[in-house]
Amino acid sequence: MSATIELSPVLASFTDNQLSVPVTGQTIGECLDELVKKLPNLKKLLLDKTGRLMHTYSIYINGESIYPLDMKRPVADGDKINIVFIVTGG
Amino acid sequence: MLTPQERKRYERQIAIYGFGESGQEKLKKARVFVAGAGGLGSPVALYLVAAGIGTLRVADRDTVELSNLNRQVLHWQENIGQEKAASAAAKLKKLNPDIEIEATAEPITESNASRLVGDADAIVDAMDNLPTRYILNQTAIAQGIPFFHGAVQGFEGRAMTVLPGRSACLYCLYHGATLPPEKCPVIGVTPAVIGCIQATEVIKYITGLGELLTDRLLVYDALGMKFTELHVKRDPACPRCGNLKSE
Repeated sequence: MSATIELSPVLASFTDNQLSVPVTGQTIGECLDELVKKLPNLKKLLLDKTGRLMHTYSIYINGESIYPLDMKRPVADGDKINIVFIVTGG
Repeated sequence: MLTPQERKRYERQIAIYGFGESGQEKLKKARVFVAGAGGLGSPVALYLVAAGIGTLRVADRDTVELSNLNRQVLHWQENIGQEKAASAAAKLKKLNPDIEIEATAEPITESNASRLVGDADAIVDAMDNLPTRYILNQTAIAQGIPFFHGAVQGFEGRAMTVLPGRSACLYCLYHGATLPPEKCPVIGVTPAVIGCIQATEVIKYITGLGELLTDRLLVYDALGMKFTELHVKRDPACPRCGNLKSE
């Protein structure tokens, strides 16, 4: 399946300003794996040692929250996946 | 009841369809607690006071520093070294002398948040850290007071409105995740936009107009100049609001 991952602009310095990344995968986990292969600087930022998404990020598919995150959740063709980092400034 | 001077002062907003004198009277009776008088708190407080909120209570523990002045427009060069709460109160009183301004430099903690919020009709999150935001979220839930969340970093901002027992709360959004305190990079126009969205939400809530930003996280990307709406679900297992019956 082909999907697009949209990244929070606060991550731009780790992605050379690439904030929209096309990926392929059957599941969220596979899509995240491909994302960090394409943008290796994101790996330590996004994933813990077991390959799970850090708790400071949330994932939305087509604008809908998918909490609690299941890395085996299927992805459909054309899905837009938003990875949202917590922003705390005021 | 509005005075002739108030009718004149607010005539342009009273003229808005659905707003009217009754909307202005609702604003006049309202009390709003603004947590923070910094980048977000400045536009929130300025626009609520300009709009005629009856009482605005603002809390900020910090003093004004030179590096605040790129975004914290309530504070000026001459205020460096002063308490932000006092600096904010002085400007807001000059902007609109009819408004009751209550300012405190007391830090917001778990033990005093309820007292500081008092009988407010709305709590505005203009903080710069997540732990205090969670305290305010919890206070809002415990007292059944709407909570207006905002946050910024760089050219990016977020906003969401919480109606306790009716919509997702901050804990439903972030599930208790925490981050160490840090000085976020930010340019003033970002909190200006998000603060104005928060103030708009407060005005809509008090006047009963429009559709609130509930169960929706609004993400503002200033560099891409786009707004994205992400749907947030109320978490039935939320340790903060999960026990509240849906209204």
